[in-house]
Amino acid sequence: MTLSARRAVNWTALVAVLILYPFVDRAIGLHAVHAVSDGMIYVLLALGLNIVVGYAGLLDLGYAAFFAIGAYAMGLLNSPVLGSPLYGHAWSFWLCIWIAAAVSALLGLVIGAPTLRVRGDYLAIITLGFGEIIPVAIRNLGDITIDIGGWRPVVRLNLTGGENGVNPVGRPYLPGVPFETDPIPWYFLILVIGAASVWAMYRLQDSRLGRAWMAIREDETAADCTGVNPITTKLLAFALGASFSGFAGSVYAAKLQAITPGAFEFQVSIMLLCMVVLGGAGSLGGVVLGAMLITVFDRVLLTQMTTLVRLVGRTLGVPALVSIDLTLWRWFFFGLGLALVMLLRPQGLLGRRVRPVADADVDEPATAEPAPPPRVEAIPGWLRERVVAGAPARDGAPILEVRGITKKFGGVIALNGIDLVVPRGAIIGLIGPNGAGKTTFFNVVTGLSAPDEGHITFEGRSLVGLRPNAIVARGIARTFQSIRLFPYMTVLENVLVGENCRLTSSVAGAVLRPASVVAEEARARERARSLLAFVGLVDKGDDLARNLPYGDQRRLEIARALATEPRLLLLDEPTAGMNPNETETLTRLIGLLRRELALSILLIEHDMQVVMGISDRITVLDYGTRIAEGTPAEIQRHPRVIEAYLGTGYEQELAARGTTQ
Amino acid sequence: MLELADVHTYYGNIRALRGLTLSVQRGEIVTLIGANGAGKTTTLRTILGTVRPRSGTVSFNGQRLDTLATDRIVRLGIAQSPEGRRIFPRMTVLENLELGAFARADHDGIASDLERAFTLFPRLRERIAQKGGTLSGGEQQMLAIGRALMARPGLLLLDEPSMNLSPILVETIFRIIQDINGQGTTILLVEQNARMALRVAHRGYVIQTGRIVLQDSAAELLRSDIVRKTYLGEK
Repeated sequence: MTLSARRAVNWTALVAVLILYPFVDRAIGLHAVHAVSDGMIYVLLALGLNIVVGYAGLLDLGYAAFFAIGAYAMGLLNSPVLGSPLYGHAWSFWLCIWIAAAVSALLGLVIGAPTLRVRGDYLAIITLGFGEIIPVAIRNLGDITIDIGGWRPVVRLNLTGGENGVNPVGRPYLPGVPFETDPIPWYFLILVIGAASVWAMYRLQDSRLGRAWMAIREDETAADCTGVNPITTKLLAFALGASFSGFAGSVYAAKLQAITPGAFEFQVSIMLLCMVVLGGAGSLGGVVLGAMLITVFDRVLLTQMTTLVRLVGRTLGVPALVSIDLTLWRWFFFGLGLALVMLLRPQGLLGRRVRPVADADVDEPATAEPAPPPRVEAIPGWLRERVVAGAPARDGAPILEVRGITKKFGGVIALNGIDLVVPRGAIIGLIGPNGAGKTTFFNVVTGLSAPDEGHITFEGRSLVGLRPNAIVARGIARTFQSIRLFPYMTVLENVLVGENCRLTSSVAGAVLRPASVVAEEARARERARSLLAFVGLVDKGDDLARNLPYGDQRRLEIARALATEPRLLLLDEPTAGMNPNETETLTRLIGLLRRELALSILLIEHDMQVVMGISDRITVLDYGTRIAEGTPAEIQRHPRVIEAYLGTGYEQELAARGTTQ
Repeated sequence: MLELADVHTYYGNIRALRGLTLSVQRGEIVTLIGANGAGKTTTLRTILGTVRPRSGTVSFNGQRLDTLATDRIVRLGIAQSPEGRRIFPRMTVLENLELGAFARADHDGIASDLERAFTLFPRLRERIAQKGGTLSGGEQQMLAIGRALMARPGLLLLDEPSMNLSPILVETIFRIIQDINGQGTTILLVEQNARMALRVAHRGYVIQTGRIVLQDSAAELLRSDIVRKTYLGEK
């Protein structure tokens, strides 16, 4: 059987099982349909949390708050008895689930916005606080009196039902479907919502947006400098993640018929996090599995096992076993199970593999092969077109003009009134002793740190105040001194993130995939592959970036930068750690980019053969000040440069290596 | 002093070292040169026990290392200056250096070695109270070497010490390597800058796809055609 046929059979079998399950359950008297339906609600919640934690890498310890908001949105709008301002106007369930999702998404934005600058522990603490605030607020909004100097606009308003909660909550209505008495319609309702969510997530994770989330998780700074806007990307993660729980909460409220603030406490957030981590954060199948396993274990297995153990106890006459209640031990079992999984399989049950996959012919790793020399014909045609087309018509003017840039860190003046001009199509070298401020200069130009004084103009427009991702969109790309790839993404995905700022698909587009988005995605992949071919990584597209040898990582970083369609490329020590052959290949690649694409290049480099060989002009920094500027020949003879930077050995070095060339 | 015999090291099922054999005698500078991905860093990791060989032996002064924990290996007198930026970014320069002497108890010796580190790298003295993570790439490299020296090791493993350093500092660093060797430290040096490495080393090994393919005195290697073509970039 072919792979696709086998897959079709598997899918058909899965669908058949899902459809037949409630009827089989009823026939054999298992009475687990309710529990399984609840499990699917938790799947929905876990899917939403997985966006935030698994894809975007933002630890959220208060996710149950969004669950509560979804449930209360449904309860408040749909309850026939609640003493809220909406009393007497119970809205349709079918309308309310959308409102609940929208309200949750909105609150996701509200919570997300102030936490954008924090990560890790700090973010976790903030979400923890939010998770605590919501149930408390719900408890206290059951009896509101506003008294302003005797004027009481609101007296004893019951907005949320307080501690008692909302009871009853209206049920969905469909002609002829017994939602009141039968668990099976609920099962199918939740199944449909759940399947739609899994489907939407499946498409999202493999889209422009999904890649942006993962890039943010892997390395936020690198993502920013590759054109991914971390602010909108994170906010979308919070909003979409919250909307999933809006759906889940509203269905939960209507199914349970009653909600109380106690149902959304801290433990629920933790349990949801356990589901995601157990299954494997970032893995769709893993999250579904984790949520189902934990709920079914909790709701079905524990009670069944209790019955079983008691039966054994009675038969053997052991009183301790007869009175046991395993459901009281649920947190013990959760904790134990989670600890075991984390010890034995830290990436979760179905988490992404981080090691290379078993392969028959790993015997001769390609790692030792020298990189193929760059060829003119291999320059992707689209890149040539785009880079040339993107350049403004007026020529002769410098592409980058930096005037009087000063940057201070506390008392240290890292850059002191630096001027630097890059003419269009030029290669400008930037050299200087360690700690002179070269990388800081790159950071200022690319928007990672704001200059205290000075102007930066790119193609006639100021860059000061722009975010790094906006500067990438203008046409400046960079690489990092210590390579900063997205290590747990594939090589191809790394390049695709580079294209992110040139792609346009939205959330809806990524899920619905109209022809335009499909075409865009196919084109993006084709372009990414052509770039990989150009830098000599064509057969490594599916490897994780972290598994590439050092030289390949350097070239992948350049491919990723090229994917942003830059007109100015900033390279920070691109040949560091390379041997002479690799260095020469890379030097030729840089020359080719300038010659063929008219790319302007600003180059930090300590290999004098490279800098002196390909730079048109060189600027030398020392202690944040420009000490020299000139042609390579002038710089080599400059006494201050020799004293502070070159030393006297470099001449012998150059003579030994370069004379025959 | 150090012996690796027929060492095979794997990452998952990728064979990084395939029967590597090399030795370092007391008082020597031995350099290991090779392309990226050839297995140089893996060799150092195998010696320090951060990855384990699947077969073969690593021994130091006759004692087997391949079963010892890394901290025990360090206590035997082996220190490494790691490639890249494995410094403690949230600790100051001084704290980073002091941690290098963590396994030592001779306070006077530590104080004088601290002084030596600052004499070798005046830039570190200027930055003494700065957090390691705020240093530039090259300064972090100096700090990593300085920290390794603070252990006053019998055997020093250097992984690409010249990386990210300015030409004048590259010269300095190789002079320092000769100096500390002269003071009695044995050195195993992994370098991309094969020319400089072979100039200061006594002997050298050339590694290709996890095996030693050539070994000789440094002077002979500098004259060898393969080395000149492949690793020195001569035409």
